[in-house]
Amino acid sequence: MKKRPDLYTNYKSESAIFSTSTQKVWFVLLILLSLIVPFYFSPYWMLLVTTSLLIAIASWGLNIVSGMAGQINLAHGVFVGIGTYTSAVIGGVATSSVIGFELDMIIWLPLSGIIAALVGIIISPVSARLKGLNLGLVTLAIVFIGSHFFSNLKFITGGAGLGRKAAKLKFLGIDLDSGLSIGSMILEKNDVIYYFSLILCIFLGLGAKNLTRTKIGRAFSAIRDRDIAAEALGINLYRYKMYAFALSSFYAGIAGSLLFIISGGIEPGTFSLLYSITFIAIVIIGGVGTVMGPFYGAFFFTMLPGIIQTILHAVGVADTGFFLNAGEIERIVFGFFIIFFLVFEPRGIWGIWFRLRNYFKAWPFSY
Amino acid sequence: MTIFLQATFEGLSLGSVYSLVAIGLVLVYKATDVLSFAHPALVVVGAGLISALAVDRGVPFWLAFIIGIIATGLIGLIVERTFLRPMVGEPVFSVAILTIGIDILLRTILNNWIGLNPRYLGDPFPSFGNFGSLELNGVTLKYLELAALFTAIIMISLLTVFFKKSKYGVAMMATSYDQEAALAQGINVGRIFGLVWLIAGILAGFAGFFITGGFNTLTQASFVSALRALPAVVIGGLDSIPGAVVGSLIIGLTQGYVAYYQINIENFLGIPLGSGFSLIAPYLIMFFILLIRPDGLFGREEVERV
Repeated sequence: MKKRPDLYTNYKSESAIFSTSTQKVWFVLLILLSLIVPFYFSPYWMLLVTTSLLIAIASWGLNIVSGMAGQINLAHGVFVGIGTYTSAVIGGVATSSVIGFELDMIIWLPLSGIIAALVGIIISPVSARLKGLNLGLVTLAIVFIGSHFFSNLKFITGGAGLGRKAAKLKFLGIDLDSGLSIGSMILEKNDVIYYFSLILCIFLGLGAKNLTRTKIGRAFSAIRDRDIAAEALGINLYRYKMYAFALSSFYAGIAGSLLFIISGGIEPGTFSLLYSITFIAIVIIGGVGTVMGPFYGAFFFTMLPGIIQTILHAVGVADTGFFLNAGEIERIVFGFFIIFFLVFEPRGIWGIWFRLRNYFKAWPFSY
Repeated sequence: MTIFLQATFEGLSLGSVYSLVAIGLVLVYKATDVLSFAHPALVVVGAGLISALAVDRGVPFWLAFIIGIIATGLIGLIVERTFLRPMVGEPVFSVAILTIGIDILLRTILNNWIGLNPRYLGDPFPSFGNFGSLELNGVTLKYLELAALFTAIIMISLLTVFFKKSKYGVAMMATSYDQEAALAQGINVGRIFGLVWLIAGILAGFAGFFITGGFNTLTQASFVSALRALPAVVIGGLDSIPGAVVGSLIIGLTQGYVAYYQINIENFLGIPLGSGFSLIAPYLIMFFILLIRPDGLFGREEVERV
């Protein structure tokens, strides 16, 4: 360990992905730990962990466009939906009401990201014309237009209230829908999805971190901080906003393609306004503009139902006639956390962690 | 022609209901720099209060109506004092997201009360039978829609007089121009903030009654109708009260015409638009108007310095 961890002698070491070797060690340890997690966790918690990983990927996407490039996007859930339906059409089974091609995962996984990104590119000129609140309101319109499409394109989505099945899990010709057995080891379908999510999460997470130290990432920050000044510095606003939307939708599409395979089916009503707002809340609760923030936020949000259930059982009001049920308590806690973090800790969970770490670094001196 | 008149009348009445919500939104935005996503929730909370008192508790309708609307105003006041006062001076967008949090809180509790079945709001004139209607040259004029139109006209005139003549109205205008300058003139800006939310809440209460009254009923999805006041405000420009009224009428008329003429439009365009298209038409209009005029039809253009 270095004696002065905050001393950087050149730009390269300051902008390194892992600023200290301690972080590298922790990162490797965490990956090794997460590889053996499926053998120790119950299926219920595995489900939550897998969902958290995928939600984290989608939240990184929103963080790129809103946290890094400063373009407000209330329609992130729609892009997740586009990814989901792309995968469902390419990898799903055709029935009498919906189309599906049953292709390999190696085809639909990248394609769902790319098609979501294409839609993002189509929408991005709007952000060149509008900014701030007005952009947020236009993306609000996109949420409603998106849900209208989702519930009316019946040959793709199955229609409102009915839905369709998600994509089949087939990777390089191996059918994984009934699990995978390597020797005497048997992996359940959800464990397979977990490993896919984990790999994607590691790579896309490193990608998001790496983005902050590239030319594009610096341009994003410049646009976020002052778009007029950025333009004066020679940054092509139109092009970089397009990159931001494309990247963000790509992340959303990838996350969406796997997210609904866990539960097996998708109903178009899922991609409502609240679903899109969830992602904004996750980014805010986690920490806007940071890389680890959305990750913390995603875990926090996904684990919340589990935690609340546990607390309710511990207190003993789970089955008795409390006037709110678990889902409603969850939503109230969720709404309350949005307010709490915006008022008291705008930097989110990441901010709390940051202060805690600094406190113990300087301990016993207060600063 | 009859269909056209019918669509026009329903559109105008719908627009006037939206304008009640929209004016509240604009007042709050102008005075406190808050774009309130919690407003649709206030609208349905108002309707819920009226329904709870008039139908569940058996309070005489008019009393329930007045109590419900004033209580909605007070909820607006409480929301401002508790959640939004600490956020004065924060970035506009953070506060807007915070109001989404408030919206989630209010609506979760309300939806728990509404349950699965639609709720009725009680009838002011039981002798007419369920809000009755009036036939005029083949056009059906529902009393509820007529009342909405008149209420909106009366409220807008009252507000105009209030802003021109009363001490607090003028103070409110001053606050919306410049909060600090108003403070320096001896205006109690905090009190103005509260008052603005009270007025916006009362307007939301009225709108709540007209949106969910009669056969419209109050359901968990009612807030979506109130949310359509947002495109209205945006079309008119976030900081213009006449703009809010014009925007609301545009939205209401669009919705009315599309609902009646969707088949003709589909035949003209040659593509099916899908069921419920009239409900997203307002958002499409907002989308295109914002692309052409980023600050809305009547909004002041923002001058930015680097």
